[in-house]
Amino acid sequence: MNLEAVIVGAIVGVAAGWLIRRWAAAARRRKEGGCAGDCGCSTKLKPKR
Amino acid sequence: MSTPEPGLLVALVGNPNTGKSTLFNALTGLRQRVGNYPGVTVARKSGTCDLGDGQKVELVDLPGLYSLAAASPDEQVVIDALSGNIAGDRRPDAVVLVVDSTNLLRNLFLASQVAELGRPVVIVLNQADVAKEQGLRIDTELLSRRLGGVPVVMSSAWKGEGILDVRRAIASAVAQQTPMKRVAWPTNIAAALTEVANVAATDTGKVVTEADAQRLLFDTNPSTADRLGWTVAQREKTLRSARDRVRNSGYNPMAAEPLVHYAHLRIVLEGVVTEGAGKAGRSAAVDRLLLHRVLGPVLFLGIMLGFFGSVFWLAKFPMEWIQFGVDALKGVVAPQLDAYPMLQSLLADGIIGGVGAFLVFLPQILILFLFIGILEDSGYMARAAFIMDRLFSWCGLNGKSFVPLLSGFACAIPSLLSTRTIEDPKARLATAFVVPFMSCSARFPVYALMCAAFIGPLYGPGWQSVVMIGMHCVGLFFAVPTAFVLTRLVLKVKPQPFVLELPRYQMPKPRDVIWRMWQNAAEFVSKAGTVIFAITIIVWALSYFPRDPSVAERIKVANPSATEEVLKAKVQATYVEQSYMGRFGKAVQPIFDPLGFDWKITVGVLASFPAREVIVSTLGVTYSVGEGAEADSQHLRKAMQDAKWSEGPRAGTPIFSLAAVLALMVFFALCSQCGPTIATLAQETGGWKWAAGSFVYMTALAWLAGTAVYQVVIRLS
Repeated sequence: MNLEAVIVGAIVGVAAGWLIRRWAAAARRRKEGGCAGDCGCSTKLKPKR
Repeated sequence: MSTPEPGLLVALVGNPNTGKSTLFNALTGLRQRVGNYPGVTVARKSGTCDLGDGQKVELVDLPGLYSLAAASPDEQVVIDALSGNIAGDRRPDAVVLVVDSTNLLRNLFLASQVAELGRPVVIVLNQADVAKEQGLRIDTELLSRRLGGVPVVMSSAWKGEGILDVRRAIASAVAQQTPMKRVAWPTNIAAALTEVANVAATDTGKVVTEADAQRLLFDTNPSTADRLGWTVAQREKTLRSARDRVRNSGYNPMAAEPLVHYAHLRIVLEGVVTEGAGKAGRSAAVDRLLLHRVLGPVLFLGIMLGFFGSVFWLAKFPMEWIQFGVDALKGVVAPQLDAYPMLQSLLADGIIGGVGAFLVFLPQILILFLFIGILEDSGYMARAAFIMDRLFSWCGLNGKSFVPLLSGFACAIPSLLSTRTIEDPKARLATAFVVPFMSCSARFPVYALMCAAFIGPLYGPGWQSVVMIGMHCVGLFFAVPTAFVLTRLVLKVKPQPFVLELPRYQMPKPRDVIWRMWQNAAEFVSKAGTVIFAITIIVWALSYFPRDPSVAERIKVANPSATEEVLKAKVQATYVEQSYMGRFGKAVQPIFDPLGFDWKITVGVLASFPAREVIVSTLGVTYSVGEGAEADSQHLRKAMQDAKWSEGPRAGTPIFSLAAVLALMVFFALCSQCGPTIATLAQETGGWKWAAGSFVYMTALAWLAGTAVYQVVIRLS
């Protein structure tokens, strides 16, 4: 395998991994009652009951 | 920022649109969103406030409310915050009551209710500049004495005046712990309150404060009883007996609280406010024109036409400069990588082509939010709500639905959060369901691309604005009957009167408008550099691989007389068609064929389901890869104008015909293509049922409407 293919493969792999990690983090945040947007804010919305 | 001392928590409370968030920003140095209409803040926000002598407190900005009788979820946030019932929060050590200086009586009703909580209070008479302009003079010392010695200060947070006085007043309230003078309840009501407090405490085993007893006695909303764990069976008899006692003393139990408070406040305010000569009534004069039954809607339409026309006109040159920069960058990068064609294609066609196609719309986004900021801050948006009320009330929506629907034109997520201002849960659900129909700013680049590439060149710049307004109305056109069916037939929402306090007109503050533009521009650029960047790389990889090296040879043999340039273009086109994306797009394309979409548009549409603006970068990549890296001057608009069907009954005709362009825009106007919106809808409706229903309904509707538009226009043309 040549170096060019390795570099391109690494870039594509990092992009895919980053997207999956971001969506997983947003889903976890929603589950914990945080903001459901993917803005990354940590607003807690559920009052204590 | 230094950490506030533990135990010092100050809450900012007041009626809607009294300038709480503006004061919060001035006190904390933060940039919490502000707006000249009620209901901008729907959740608590906190920051650190320096009291001037090195002492720091945590300041909490809470949604606006008129009374402590919480009816909507955003009002419940305030009650929970004031009673220390929010996870991780203490009960506030002091409460800053922000009061509109021009309407003391009504604003102090909430203050009078908060006094019942027994917390130290600071009264901030905000919008002092407007009171002065109206010729009102307020004796703050007399008011302070009448309210039991609590600090009363005047400020104009919008102008940054009186902020130091507010800091000093908070420091004084925290140090002296002076509570505000409470209302004197008539004997029978006081006895009824004592009875409720005692029985509730015995039944639940919890401490029941006087404020809790008032909420239990005067409100129909069971939130306080639920919080205390006082069951219906336990409280029914006690509350009936206590309310009978109130009734026997000559008061309606549901109206006793405001009657007693207002009587108390009228005495408190006697001689406090002196009216002089002022310029009152300017807003009323403008409203006579802007809210006129006939002229109002005409002016509204005129303002919108001018608004969209200016977005195109003003952004034209900056967009060309960005396009020039993108082309130049591609021209510099591509030749450096001639020896590495795969890497060259990734950088030039994928990253620069895809992200560049998206970034070109930055000037339009900036101008869009400049106009939205001006319309909001001037106070016109609330008037637009009034104008549209007839339409909303016809389809059974609550008047309060307007603010969420209006902010849906910027982004659906904060709009879904702002449905919490609606008291009726069914009306809230119906509003949340139709919010995604509003044409958010993510749809804007799609419309702008189509209008600039096809509508403008074919029919002139005037039609660009008309089509743009039309596309913003398509969502509304379908939202109204959807809301009608939901409110009248499915949810059976009871009609409610529209009560919206019209804010006074004001000159938009350049700092706030520019800040909002900056925030949205930063979000747009950050999206281009993160999500769009990553998706672009994936789309490029799927459009590039696999590549069969024998393709070039086979095409050369099949076209012996073709020039080098033609052969190169044919090889590139074949590679894209044989890529994973090409195969997938061609397999799915028959579903979108009735809408006139080819496989490249189909791929763009499918890639846009997580975020709709992805279509622009996806088309940027698929058309770039198809043209080859050396085609640096062929920007997206030109490539789309030149694209033709290569096979089938439409072979040789333009792919982007008027019918296909309109069908694509209508599809995007209606389709549910935003992952975070669906997740927020699920969160706000308490489950995935309504979110899934919204996704299926909107997507099916988008397909049907797109098909109808394509089939009708293609036959007419």
